[in-house]
Amino acid sequence: MSKKIYLSLSLLVIAVMLLAACAPAAPATTEAPPPEETEVMTEEPTEVMTEEPTEVATEAPTEPPTEEPMIELVVWADEQRSPIIDQMGNEFAGEFGVHLTVQQMGFGDIRDQLAVAGPAGEGPDILIGAHDWLGQLVANGLVAPIDLGDKTDQFLEAAVNAFIYEGQLYGMPYATENIAFFCNTDIVQEPPATWDEVMALAETLEAESGGEVTAWTIQERDPYHSFPIFTSYGGYVFGLTESGYDPSDVGLDSEGSLAAATFLQEMAAAGHLEPGVDHDIMNALFTGGQVACIGTGPWDLDSIRESGVNYGIFPFPAGSVGPGRPFLGVQGFMISAFSEDQLLAQTVLNEIFATEEFMQAMYDADPRPSAFLPVREATADPDIAAFAEAGHDGLSMPAIPEMSSVWEAWTNALSLVITQQQSAEEAFATAAEQIRTLIEE
Amino acid sequence: MTEAITGTRGRATPLVPLSNFLTRYVLRLLGLALVDAFAVWLVSLLIRDAVWPLAAAVIAVTLLVNAVNLSDRLYPLRWMSPAFAIIILTVLYPIVFTVYTAFTNYSDGHLLTKVQSIRRIGQDRFLPEGGVTYRWAGFRSSDGEIALWLVGEGGQAYLARPGQPLEEVTADAAGVGPLDADGFPESLEGYTRLGLRDLLPILDSQLAPLEFGEPPQTIKIKSIREAAQLQQRYVYDETQDVILDQMTGALYTADDRQGFFVSETGATLNPGYQVTIGWSNFQRLLTSPALRGPFIQVFVWTIVFALFSVLTTFALGLFMALVFNDPHFPARKLVRTLLILPYAIPGVIGILIWRGMLNQHLGVITTNMVNLFGWAPGWFTDPFWSKVGVLLVNLWLGYPYMMLVCTGALQAISSDVYEAAEVDGASTWQRFWNITLPLLLVSVGPLLIASFTFNFNNFTVIYAYNEGLPPIPGTPTPAGYTDILISYTFRLAFESGRGAQYAYAAAITIVIFLIVASITLFQYRFLGRWEEVSESV
Repeated sequence: MSKKIYLSLSLLVIAVMLLAACAPAAPATTEAPPPEETEVMTEEPTEVMTEEPTEVATEAPTEPPTEEPMIELVVWADEQRSPIIDQMGNEFAGEFGVHLTVQQMGFGDIRDQLAVAGPAGEGPDILIGAHDWLGQLVANGLVAPIDLGDKTDQFLEAAVNAFIYEGQLYGMPYATENIAFFCNTDIVQEPPATWDEVMALAETLEAESGGEVTAWTIQERDPYHSFPIFTSYGGYVFGLTESGYDPSDVGLDSEGSLAAATFLQEMAAAGHLEPGVDHDIMNALFTGGQVACIGTGPWDLDSIRESGVNYGIFPFPAGSVGPGRPFLGVQGFMISAFSEDQLLAQTVLNEIFATEEFMQAMYDADPRPSAFLPVREATADPDIAAFAEAGHDGLSMPAIPEMSSVWEAWTNALSLVITQQQSAEEAFATAAEQIRTLIEE
Repeated sequence: MTEAITGTRGRATPLVPLSNFLTRYVLRLLGLALVDAFAVWLVSLLIRDAVWPLAAAVIAVTLLVNAVNLSDRLYPLRWMSPAFAIIILTVLYPIVFTVYTAFTNYSDGHLLTKVQSIRRIGQDRFLPEGGVTYRWAGFRSSDGEIALWLVGEGGQAYLARPGQPLEEVTADAAGVGPLDADGFPESLEGYTRLGLRDLLPILDSQLAPLEFGEPPQTIKIKSIREAAQLQQRYVYDETQDVILDQMTGALYTADDRQGFFVSETGATLNPGYQVTIGWSNFQRLLTSPALRGPFIQVFVWTIVFALFSVLTTFALGLFMALVFNDPHFPARKLVRTLLILPYAIPGVIGILIWRGMLNQHLGVITTNMVNLFGWAPGWFTDPFWSKVGVLLVNLWLGYPYMMLVCTGALQAISSDVYEAAEVDGASTWQRFWNITLPLLLVSVGPLLIASFTFNFNNFTVIYAYNEGLPPIPGTPTPAGYTDILISYTFRLAFESGRGAQYAYAAAITIVIFLIVASITLFQYRFLGRWEEVSESV
């Protein structure tokens, strides 16, 4: 149901109530009703009447007035990006006679609201989103294919590929996002190159400090942050084929995944890995100098910088098959399938958003590795460049809808191993079975 | 009410002051007209979006409001009409809609109606093998016709008009102006060149539907720079209810049982559409592997959780109420106010604070316990202690309510009974056990049942505290030790298969409602006995 309908419903209820207020209060008396009563009766209905048309006017963007000099496109963006699109985007778009009406909402809300507002004709023309939404958005028919034309080469290939779903491109990427290995350079000069070195480092550090300082910690219930360990031992979530991730090939009980889980089990059994660590604790331990290395993303960069810890950002340590590869998340612009101005929206993407000035402004507003090569290559911030480096071989987060069956089972297995309630093999065999069952469900 | 009825009769007196006439008729009709106009607009909006059930509900409410305000016989209902309107729209409608949804396949992949789905699938275009792509510039003739100047990959130029064959043109032909940097003529005789500002407003509304050149190889606008021999990929045939894939030749037949267009090989087209599927959702729930798993364990914990939540909150609330009922308690108003505070804090925030205090590494409770006793329970990792933890948090959230309720109920018990008991030499304990508690339960009993029902489905506390965790090892589908029925099944509907499955969730809701309803009925029987007890006091 759209916002308009909710608004209308509430107005209807108000109107019914006003009507009730209009009924004579004391019918037995022949005197005129008290003056307050008439005030209510004369004022309130006119308020409803004057309010209503303005609401309708502002909420009906579907038919752009062709006589007006400005054509309107509605853009849905989150709070960090909407000011940039509003200022910078409109500055450029104004030259073309286009006005971008930016509606700000929470990043996750964009995905949820689109399913409701899009089909009702209240949705945006352009929206910001993450590539791993595609499975759901495409299955629901909410986004339209896009065409980057000759601009394709200016984008990071991995980022463009992440927005390809079932052979079609659905988004123009603007930034990539992945975690990297943060190390406190006061504790370790050189980051550990392998997970075995991490374990050895934990032993020395704990022995030296009497258990106060350890080498590395991880959130007990966050598979996203544990993924590089799995990939470094050859583990995977869904098998990758030429046509994308294959939901019938669940890899959490593959040899590589079990090897990675066994490493975690050994770390926990040796007392190097404490259970019950969440995101806040992990950061507190790192900024407090109690742990040498953690894996986290650009979203924690500000708090780590503020804490004054001397840190370096590195690629993940290696397991038996190579360095850990984190999940790669890609953010980009998509076009609503219910937009009546899809060609125009496409033009705005290609001619206005896919320019160095605009992409640079997007980067400045929220520094994370740009997906636009001219900006990505010119990144001056060494930390952001280090993130880009750590994510160079990142694996795009599976966008297939079956991914929703994965998180809970994976989280539980991880938690059971770290709390030493189940062996790595048992826990991950169960998790893989659970995922297969849920996908069949 | 009697006053109101005499009022209607009194209306017949001929001497009605003008102001009264205004309020009685003019304003009422004006208000009614406003409501009706509004309803008509809303219903037309709903019908356009094919939201039939809500449209029907709004029509019903509007008719009711009209009847009540126009008929003198229904006059007493007039004051009730807002309540009726709200009940229909916010209580009855959601119930009816939930039941209806349980019999559909409404879920991710099946959000759209069939018409919307066909329209969306029909949007896809493709470039056939050997199809040509051109760069283009737009021109408008004096009579308003649009023409494109096309430049092919080899550099040859054409003038294309809708429905007419392509006309090969050269830059040195008569009437063609000098070429700009992109290779397009700046002017053309009989035409005006369209700049970007002219093109953009008409791009989607006027240019996109145009087909240039002769069929079947017509040229369509692909983007602001390119035009190509694009063709519609999926064509819907209404007579046979099939979709033809023009690129591969595959035929997709509508399968109205599963809400998909399906090819012979079993491939489906995105997006699917909404259909009613009968009892399938219920069938699926009953045959779900989740029921073979820890279902009994989860069910028992649900009852234990609900029961203990009621008992602990009631016991503490009653104790507090008794203590503060004593007028000699120092600063009792202040303390009582402070004790009610948890009730005023939004539940989720309260739980978050508790999560922080119980946190295994940084929490103030845990670190103090470790300092004092050298040990602290795993409030979130240990199966037993996480259950204790969630009950404690729920106790903190719930006792102020019980305290308020009991305070009121205690004051309603007549002091005569106590005086009589005192004369008979009853001890304090006997007085509480034989007088206070039975009499209290008569008035508070239904509230306890309501509290049980509420806690039976208290998703918020379970999810905000620990998301139902810690995990139970070796279950067929993920389940946690603190999972109650609603959080366990929530996961089946929203964290499994192919995304959110609203219809399945609706079916689960109905089944859980039936369980709760039967438990509640049973409890009311039980409560009936209490009433007999109280009568004999």
